[in-house]
Amino acid sequence: MNAVWLVLIISGCVVALLAGNVDVLMSSVLEGAYDAVELVIGLAGIFCLWVGIERLANESGLIDALARVSKPVLGLLFPYVKDEDKIMGAISATIISNILGLSSQTPLGLKAMAEIKQIHGETYKGLHSMITLVVISAAGFCIFPSGVIALRAALGSRNPGIVAGPTAAAGFISTCAGLLVHRVLSKRPGFKP
Amino acid sequence: MFFLANLGMYVFPIILIGVPLYAWVKGVPVYETFVKGAEEGLQVVINTLPYLVAIFVGISCFRGSGALDLVSRYMGRLLKPLGIPSEVLPIIVTRPISGSGSLGVTGEILRVHGPDTSLGLLASILQGATDTSFYVVTIYFGSVGIRKTKHALPACLIGDLCGFLTGFIIWRLMVYGR
Repeated sequence: MNAVWLVLIISGCVVALLAGNVDVLMSSVLEGAYDAVELVIGLAGIFCLWVGIERLANESGLIDALARVSKPVLGLLFPYVKDEDKIMGAISATIISNILGLSSQTPLGLKAMAEIKQIHGETYKGLHSMITLVVISAAGFCIFPSGVIALRAALGSRNPGIVAGPTAAAGFISTCAGLLVHRVLSKRPGFKP
Repeated sequence: MFFLANLGMYVFPIILIGVPLYAWVKGVPVYETFVKGAEEGLQVVINTLPYLVAIFVGISCFRGSGALDLVSRYMGRLLKPLGIPSEVLPIIVTRPISGSGSLGVTGEILRVHGPDTSLGLLASILQGATDTSFYVVTIYFGSVGIRKTKHALPACLIGDLCGFLTGFIIWRLMVYGR
């Protein structure tokens, strides 16, 4: 992330200097900082709602039940946390939200990250599980990409939903490929907590 | 199709009614518990702000300077032999970095060429194929205060690339039948 961030900033500034549009760069950077704050404020309500609901599910035992049901499948992807019901339940809720395209995917995903961090910290087991969750979430396997379909419908498509099959297939392959890379790279000697 | 389209819509109220009702039956003080959770949710969101500012500033620097357009152009030459139409290349380059940015590019293609043309179809598939990897890595690790993300980003980006290629291959099969 260090290298990525530096490359973004330095290459941006160099290109702006060469192209002579430093003024555009200035306003664009300030706008970026503003957008981050706006996004956080926009997300705050959704987060309160979903983490509140998650807490209810947690204390009533629904999360543990979800963990028990999903363990046979998700245990294969998360071998290091499969016996912790709180973590498995949160992971399971995140992945279900992802697949259904619910607004709860990020709030529940961050909740799952917090559960992993709390129990395992930045150990090998903890980081391995966190990266697995991030790779699955970033690949965005979803049976119904509502954003694109809404856009297509708004622009007068006769069949806006036709893209759902192809995007689901692409999301599935993306998830598998990401997990494969994670599996290979987590065996390298440099990956130590 | 209709059922799938509305699945999320039906699941939402079921969760919204079902979870608190179940908790109430189990004797959980529902209102207090919800508020406690909401408080935690707010804390999580606030924790992500410094990380989001950092990544947004980096990305807008890269985009606002025109560097992103340059990369799109050169990536275009590299990907040309695969037969990917040059119009959609900005989507492939922008999608992992900025969700709103690539949605803008997709919207423009759909407007100019029409959503039901082969180009409009490809743009839609690529846009829907993955999520915004930079954003997900930033917000997930940021919320728990972890700065060293190890190989999370490369794994996500390679995953994205495979997703795009899958989308492209399926599009070719749909449009050309081979």
